[in-house]
Amino acid sequence: MKTRVGVFLSDCNGEISGILNFGELTSFAEKIPGVVYVRQNNEFCQEEGLKIIKDAIREKGLNRVVVSADEPVTCMVRIGKAVQEAGLNPYLAEVITLREHCARPHQNEPEKAARKAKAMLVAAVEKAKLSEPIDVLKYPVRKSSLVIGGGIAGIQVSMSLAEMGFPVHLVEREPFLGGIAARAVKFFPTDDCALCIGAPSCDLNGITKTSRKCLYRSGFSEIPNVNVLTNARVVGVKGGPGDYQVTVEKKMYPRFPHDYPSIRVVDEQFRKFATEEASKTYPTGQVQTKSETMTLDVGTIIVATGFEEFNPSVVEEYQYGMHPDVITQLELARILDPFGPTGGSLIRPSDRGQPKKIVMVQCVGSRDARWNAYCSSICCMIALKHALIIKEKYPDTDIQICYIDIRSWGRGHEDYYERAREAGVKFVKGRPTEIFEDTEMKKLIVDVEDALLGKFVELPADLVVLSTAFVPAKGTMELAKMLGLELDGDGFFKEYNAKVRPTETKLRGIYICGGATFPKDSPTTALHAGSAALKAAKFMASGEFVKDRRTAVIDTELCGDCEFCPVTCPYGAITMEKLENHIVARIDELKCEGCGICVGTCPLNAIDLRHAKESQILAQVEALTKKDGSMEQIVLAYCCAECGGTALDSAGTDSMEYPANVRVVKVPCTGVLKIHHFLEAFNMGADAVMVIGCKPDGCHYEEGSTRAKRKIELAKKLLESFGIEPSRLEMFHNVYVEGKEFAEEARMMNERAAVLGPLRREIV
Amino acid sequence: MMKKQNPQFYEQVTSKLGGETLTKCFQCGTCASSCPVAKLTTRFNPRLVIKNAVAGEKERILVDGPIWLCCSCYNCQERCPQGVEIAEIMYALRNIALKEGHLPKAFIEMASNLMVEGRVVPTSAFTAKRREPLGLPPLKETGIEPLSKILSVTSFSKTVEKAKEVAK
Repeated sequence: MKTRVGVFLSDCNGEISGILNFGELTSFAEKIPGVVYVRQNNEFCQEEGLKIIKDAIREKGLNRVVVSADEPVTCMVRIGKAVQEAGLNPYLAEVITLREHCARPHQNEPEKAARKAKAMLVAAVEKAKLSEPIDVLKYPVRKSSLVIGGGIAGIQVSMSLAEMGFPVHLVEREPFLGGIAARAVKFFPTDDCALCIGAPSCDLNGITKTSRKCLYRSGFSEIPNVNVLTNARVVGVKGGPGDYQVTVEKKMYPRFPHDYPSIRVVDEQFRKFATEEASKTYPTGQVQTKSETMTLDVGTIIVATGFEEFNPSVVEEYQYGMHPDVITQLELARILDPFGPTGGSLIRPSDRGQPKKIVMVQCVGSRDARWNAYCSSICCMIALKHALIIKEKYPDTDIQICYIDIRSWGRGHEDYYERAREAGVKFVKGRPTEIFEDTEMKKLIVDVEDALLGKFVELPADLVVLSTAFVPAKGTMELAKMLGLELDGDGFFKEYNAKVRPTETKLRGIYICGGATFPKDSPTTALHAGSAALKAAKFMASGEFVKDRRTAVIDTELCGDCEFCPVTCPYGAITMEKLENHIVARIDELKCEGCGICVGTCPLNAIDLRHAKESQILAQVEALTKKDGSMEQIVLAYCCAECGGTALDSAGTDSMEYPANVRVVKVPCTGVLKIHHFLEAFNMGADAVMVIGCKPDGCHYEEGSTRAKRKIELAKKLLESFGIEPSRLEMFHNVYVEGKEFAEEARMMNERAAVLGPLRREIV
Repeated sequence: MMKKQNPQFYEQVTSKLGGETLTKCFQCGTCASSCPVAKLTTRFNPRLVIKNAVAGEKERILVDGPIWLCCSCYNCQERCPQGVEIAEIMYALRNIALKEGHLPKAFIEMASNLMVEGRVVPTSAFTAKRREPLGLPPLKETGIEPLSKILSVTSFSKTVEKAKEVAK
């Protein structure tokens, strides 16, 4: 079918016609091959303008639309909708902005601006002519969830989802729910029981908004939609977003899971502190080891596996594991727990006597480049909390806390620090070098410099408590492998974006929350759980997942089984599969985000993007680099559609001037670019080429910007071997607030091209 | 008397071989409590040397000379949680001090001995006589000439002369 392009030029309240000759632009547009209709109006993104577009599509039989509007994103959405209403696929409309990308930044060189505006129109028309309809895919989504980990994060996320009506399977590997909270006695900042949770609404005795309940009386396992599986673990995951088949292995018990902890099992980790009597009362061996395997079909998976204490025995100078009276904060919590192994009496393990002098050591294995470089964020508060509990029950106990910095940053946290000082807890500013035993005194000695006193002190102690780091829970790596999730440098589950999407992962349908992403206190964990529940509910709510096909497509005829693309895809969307008699790459359209990094990687040009086709990119380059008799140099800028593009936008919005010789082609990500894109630009008429991408560590598609940079380094070498100055090609990294920097770079490249003079094109 | 701070001093240290990790320090004091010298004298505390270097208290470090007291046991470096190479920093600071002519008298004396006699510790008839009962072989001649050449080519002699001037 012949393409019939309609061009709509908005004047933006006279801003365009004030600089460009609007009439001339209109008659120019009419002559562009393929254009059958040109219309100008003050605006094309309000009701009136949109109606003009819709009517024109219907009346003039337009099948492609090019609109020059202001403020591109809002307009793009409105115009897309209008075009759709008129019966055209929204991806057949091309929206540009002559105001931000031409009139404003080039207002002091109207002649050159006019030439650029014409080139921009041709480029947009050529791109539109090559565009094809893009349809949407719909995937069914199961309305049920699997929550892995039954700590406070897992409990809260399950509760929220269940209350929203989604059946939830909660898998916990321990025989009891509650995770670390079940063992931590009391929690800051409220000083009440760690196992006090937001109560579910299934409590029949009249729920009020003020309710919070102990886990055991929350009726948690009785909420409709909740299926608690304790002593169970995930052993296999199949399927994809919206439809996972999860294999769970569960050990069998005599009674129901909510009976826990009424069926006593010995917590082996803390058995060493138990009295003989306690050991007798709660013998092990009640747990049957017979196991059952089941398969659960779920639409979403929420990982809430939490963290655990770092084993401080590797910090040899602190004697943990060598001397029984050196313990960790979590072990102290067990000792202080009235239901714990000592029945709540404060003892020192070596002789079960009551310790009179306690020294706590902060940052053991945290903020330590040798073990965990990060601050575990809650250990200061745990130490203060425990110091206060001890001071309350045993006021004559002498407690000293050796610290580097006390970090009590949360709401109500500083209060703990103040109360601890009031209660007579002493603070020693210094990290001890070692802990050793004075065998004569039968005491541990903590060797430390009190920097504020300017004095070396040897603190005698009956009990030394190490505030250890918190590290990812055991099995995190195996689970990550099973689910296809990434871990960060510290081994925690990596969030989709650390700043704004903390509970999402790269995989749609899999969410993370609580301590699995980093050590957290209880309020933050509750927030996290709520967020993850909401994200999962959003994904499942409509029962289907709709995604347009702005994805990569593989030409199986050309694919040569080199296996480069599966490695470079940041979303793991590409797999190799056998097709007849050769192996080809296959794109999982559900996972593909359409960045085009695979396109930029493919050595055989076998991959293309539906929404930014190779032919479209080159057609734009050709239109924008045409000199049209002018002797002026031309700089072609490849801009990514994310940060790099926003720098261009902000320069335009704020009228930051840069030369009109700089012409821009937007691509989804600079990762899409190949060396031939640079060479073709030079071949077609560019005297310099600049590429503007996101910051290397801020690329919206992770690696695209870095990959582009590498390709540019290579291309420079290639240019040199052709006898072309490599300085004609340059990569820049800009973000939205760097419009000024972009303008500066554009000026620089323009000047550089002017100084170097026209390119001897016959070489390329 | 207040001594003038030199805010850019830390750059001078971090650009020196061994001084690169200076600014990683967060003053936890593990080095200080690990240090056998600091426990004997208040004149040396590795934490304070680092703090002074970062703060730009150049004179306190270079002129007052605490850096020369480090015994290079590397205890501090072994236990530092931030990977600050404390003992190496002491060397870097000593190099800076020497370049600027700040050398404690004892070291000037040793250097002079080296230049004159080819030995750091001077020998005498008395020490020579003590060797035999201890079963030690007699000392050999040092061959001062090649050493002098080395010391002069490496501008060791010049540096020591400068330090002598400053010491006066």
